[in-house]
Amino acid sequence: MTVTFQLNGEDCRFHGDPMTPLVDILRQERFLTGTKAVCREGFCGACTVHVDDEAVPSCLKPIALVQGCAVTTIEGLSSGNHPLHPLQAAFEAADAVQCGMCFPGMVMSLSAFVRDNPHASRPEIKAAMVGNICRCTGYERIVDTVADCLDQARKAGQLVGGVHV
Amino acid sequence: MSELSATVMNLPRRDAQDKLRGRTKYTNDRIRPDMLHAVLLRSTVPAGRIRKLDVSAALRCPGVRAVATGADAPGLYGIGIADHPLLAIDTIRYHGEPIAVIAAETEKQARAALAAIVLEVEPLAPVFTMAEALQPAARLVHEGWRGYEVITEGGARAGNIAWEAKSSRGDVDAAFARPDIRIVESSFTVGRQSHVPFEPRVAIGSWEDGRAHIQTSTQVPWTVRNVTGRVMQLPPGRVRVTVPPVGGGFGLKFDASIEPITALLARMTGRTVVLENTRQEEMATCLCRENAEIRIRSAVTPEGYIAGREAVVLMDCGAYGGEQVFLTTMTAHTLGGNYKVGAMRLVSRAVYTNTPPNGAFRACNGVYNTFALERHTDEICDALGFDPMEFRKQNVLGDGDLGATGQVFEADVLGPMLDRMEALRASTGTSEAKADGRLYGIATTVGTWFVFVGPSAATVNLNADGSATLVTSGVEIGSGTMVQSLPQIVAGQLGLAPDQVIVREADTDAAGLDVGVGGGRTTVSIGAASIAACAEVREKLLRTAGEMLQTRPEDLVLRDGRVEITGRPGSGMSIPAVVAHAQATTGPITGSGAFTARNTPAMSGCAMGHFIDALDIPVFVVHEAEVAVDPDTGHVEVLAYRVVQDVGRALNPRAILGQIQGGVVQGLGYALHEEVTLTVDGRIAQDDFETYRLPLAQDVIPVAADLYEGAPSMGPLGTKGAGEVPILAVGAAIGCAVARAIGKPVQQLPLTPPRVLRLLHEREPPPEFPHIAPGWAANTLG
Amino acid sequence: MASSVERSFTAASTLDEAMAARRQGAAVLAGGTWMMRDPRRGIDLPEAVVALHRIPALSKVEIEPDHVVIGAAVTHAVLGRALYGAAGFEGVVAAAEGAANPGIRRVATVGGNLCALDFAAADLVPALLVCEATVELETVEGPKLLGISDFLKDRHTLLTDGIVTRIHLRRDLVASAHIRLPLRKAGDYPVAIVSLAMDKDKRCRIAVGSVEPVARRWTALEQAMRAGPASALDPERAAELALEHNDFQGRDGKEAEGWYRRQVLPPLVKRGVAALLKTGGLA
Repeated sequence: MTVTFQLNGEDCRFHGDPMTPLVDILRQERFLTGTKAVCREGFCGACTVHVDDEAVPSCLKPIALVQGCAVTTIEGLSSGNHPLHPLQAAFEAADAVQCGMCFPGMVMSLSAFVRDNPHASRPEIKAAMVGNICRCTGYERIVDTVADCLDQARKAGQLVGGVHV
Repeated sequence: MSELSATVMNLPRRDAQDKLRGRTKYTNDRIRPDMLHAVLLRSTVPAGRIRKLDVSAALRCPGVRAVATGADAPGLYGIGIADHPLLAIDTIRYHGEPIAVIAAETEKQARAALAAIVLEVEPLAPVFTMAEALQPAARLVHEGWRGYEVITEGGARAGNIAWEAKSSRGDVDAAFARPDIRIVESSFTVGRQSHVPFEPRVAIGSWEDGRAHIQTSTQVPWTVRNVTGRVMQLPPGRVRVTVPPVGGGFGLKFDASIEPITALLARMTGRTVVLENTRQEEMATCLCRENAEIRIRSAVTPEGYIAGREAVVLMDCGAYGGEQVFLTTMTAHTLGGNYKVGAMRLVSRAVYTNTPPNGAFRACNGVYNTFALERHTDEICDALGFDPMEFRKQNVLGDGDLGATGQVFEADVLGPMLDRMEALRASTGTSEAKADGRLYGIATTVGTWFVFVGPSAATVNLNADGSATLVTSGVEIGSGTMVQSLPQIVAGQLGLAPDQVIVREADTDAAGLDVGVGGGRTTVSIGAASIAACAEVREKLLRTAGEMLQTRPEDLVLRDGRVEITGRPGSGMSIPAVVAHAQATTGPITGSGAFTARNTPAMSGCAMGHFIDALDIPVFVVHEAEVAVDPDTGHVEVLAYRVVQDVGRALNPRAILGQIQGGVVQGLGYALHEEVTLTVDGRIAQDDFETYRLPLAQDVIPVAADLYEGAPSMGPLGTKGAGEVPILAVGAAIGCAVARAIGKPVQQLPLTPPRVLRLLHEREPPPEFPHIAPGWAANTLG
Repeated sequence: MASSVERSFTAASTLDEAMAARRQGAAVLAGGTWMMRDPRRGIDLPEAVVALHRIPALSKVEIEPDHVVIGAAVTHAVLGRALYGAAGFEGVVAAAEGAANPGIRRVATVGGNLCALDFAAADLVPALLVCEATVELETVEGPKLLGISDFLKDRHTLLTDGIVTRIHLRRDLVASAHIRLPLRKAGDYPVAIVSLAMDKDKRCRIAVGSVEPVARRWTALEQAMRAGPASALDPERAAELALEHNDFQGRDGKEAEGWYRRQVLPPLVKRGVAALLKTGGLA
């Protein structure tokens, strides 16, 4: 079947098996390899993308369910030479990254989270990361960075709407 | 030392932005539509003889371009002993062993063609456990073990014992016969740990100008080169290995595995071939940290002097010897480490079983031997009534003390580190109040590990724009050495800013030999080779500048991108001007450097079957854990975790703290959550993220860490590797703290909630090792 | 990537359309989080699929003064938000907000949770059991309403041609609680679940999930607790009764053996009763 959707702001058409996982189309047909297929079962979060602004695992999303939706991948979050999303910039500055393979998914999950939860506490940040596994960093620096980012946004007066691009 | 102040800094990572934007191309992001996809036919029995293997029908399947079997790659490889075929030849030794491989236009076509391979296997009775393997009448996992090529001489071998290493110092029998001593004996057993790098093992092979080119996610490009040469029976120089950024390794990628298959298929097809393990394959055939069984006995005087110690360590190497053969060496330095002991004898045996092969994992054998040694130490304290902290302070290795192989340790390091732990605890406070009615335990443990030094080479080219290019076989696996410590070191040597140092990714055609990223060695070994290369660059640079400035080279310094006259900031000239002059007169400025192990001596006759006799660079840790145990469910919550780590010299303290947090959390996984069991047919049962439980954000806490600097090190600028060792004593600290909390002996890891509940209700049978003889000598091959 | 056999996919916009596809053998696709893992379990994906997410009635939560209707295509995340703060539904909210992980909860649906036959650890099932939910199905004979216990008993047969469309809940609970025990803090499937609810007569309902292959009410414990005065509802006493009336056969799994699942039930009951008393303002 044919499925049409928006991919990083552009029209995208897929023809093929409607049950193909979204992640495979992103990686194999669109060469958007920032989305990582790590466990393919919804546990690791490395394939997280935004579908209609919600952070969801793309490994378990049959492409047919994306018909008419807007999909944003890590490549679409801060494209080209545009500035990094504040969270990405904060992770870079804090030396939070190690092997880096979990980070695209981590950024996609947490960017939606900080947008929706500008007053989140440290435990709430951790609870939001339960579906994003990191094997390298031991998490705490990521949590600290998100908490700092929210703090700064609040201080800068962006109280409503959390952290945006 | 001025270069030191120019080197130490919290340099951020240059690769972070691309990684955060999803732009970094790991090996498995480089798959292109014109590549062939390879898939493996893997064994579905744990042991058997191949009676028939006919691939002709598979070759005729749609899209199939080549099928290879063991006959196409007859060479055997291994560490110490060459016992491992690339694809099973005649005999199947584990569930999941590759038997044949199909390359097709698409992965789907390749998978579909698997069904067309005709395979007839006569099952053999599998040998699943070390207890079975060590029975006198046990079936041999390798019937032809005697015929294997021995790559490294010295280890004793027999039957299912792939390798045996021993150390023996002093008169142990006499120590145990002393009338004034008490004998304490402990037994421990630990399971496997799966590395779970986010990028699985994956390789892309092509055949260019009569040579193989393999791009792969590896820690050891030179091993991949050499193994590929060996199995394809090619001179290794006909293999080129390049390494894109690696999505995690942790030791799993310290051996060649699937890479040579892509070279083989590329040669057969003339096409570029990709082979990537699925997550399920990756976990089912992971070269795990080995399961092990440990019996340890000590003879201790009423004053708390350890007069004698002996131990037997059995390490399951699985179907092939692999890294365990080498790791038998480490028992002498891990189980035999930490403490002053009068006389000591230790044996460790790598044992073949019909299970997936094991391999190297961060601080390898040290993790469980430290658990065993520290729990044993606490059992000594319990039995003889010593305070565990005082006992450790009294007995930890100090200046002039002897290790198990008779090596003489330099300087007091562990003792002052214990003091620093007490100071750290005083500054953080303890967390007993958070136990909130649950069972509370706290334990302080020590650990001994090492930096695995060995051959490294480096070339530095000084460019006309004043930048320098560092060419090595180093690999960035995530720890930051290639993007932080090496550019810091080179910049410090040449008076440049780190961003002026270009670091070439590993390419065996471009850089000299390197034994790979592992054992905390990159900063030390490649760092030392880089400093040697910089010395040559510096010498040429100063000589040229001296001529230009009419000044003696020894009166010149490199600072802020300039060659300056000592004591006169702003004098002299810029490095580009000197390079330009050199290029026109004597030629481009380059330097090369090399480094290898010092081979610190052991005492004569103490070490047998050892790959290294003594530790060139010992590394010590002190770990402290506070836990709360829920007596109703067996859940262990870590309330606080503190680390004092011997780092020699911290070049990038912030990066080291990141390694400590990450390494401790991997250790918490090992100690508490991550369990590997085998099914009745010999498969790893936990082959997905549903059942193999990695620590998640809510399961961890911030680690309080203190970096201990100043211990002696032959590493450049006094450094020691800092990324490997943070995991070393986590199993020990958690095991000891849980034992204190529940008031029962902890003899096994991981401490999953069901196991802790069994311990609490005394339903957990203590480990029993009928296959370990009561007399130590009976556990050796003589 | 394209399948050799063209897979049929119907995004039904009405229930009739969905039933028509169902009659022709299409499998029902909800969020996909269970079905998409079939290939990993060695099961081929169905050749024909019908998705329900475009049927508006199945994607909403209607909250009325005396009852609540939950569409089968409502996700865990939406359900948790919709019922947040609604007295008596604390257990359903905790189940919806605690299951799996946040990404899955934004996708996985109520209907999927009830219809995944091999999913013993589904969080919503015991939570809905203590609500004494009514399950509405569309079948070839027309709509059908069933108590959730009966639905669970017969769902194998019912789901061969029926579609779960809505869940009906009465608003007759004073308080409820959902105690789940994963082996980590969160993020994995619980090895045991105890859901509890208290009705207006202060009678306790208790259901257990993940311990046996299918969640069920703990009738023996409920009866034992009713034998005492409601005012005597006490966590310690409840745990003692749970120990005494533990009639569960724990299922063995890779993550935990049966004895463990069974063993942890009394302490989970204790926690549940304590939570219930706190929510009900009785603590």
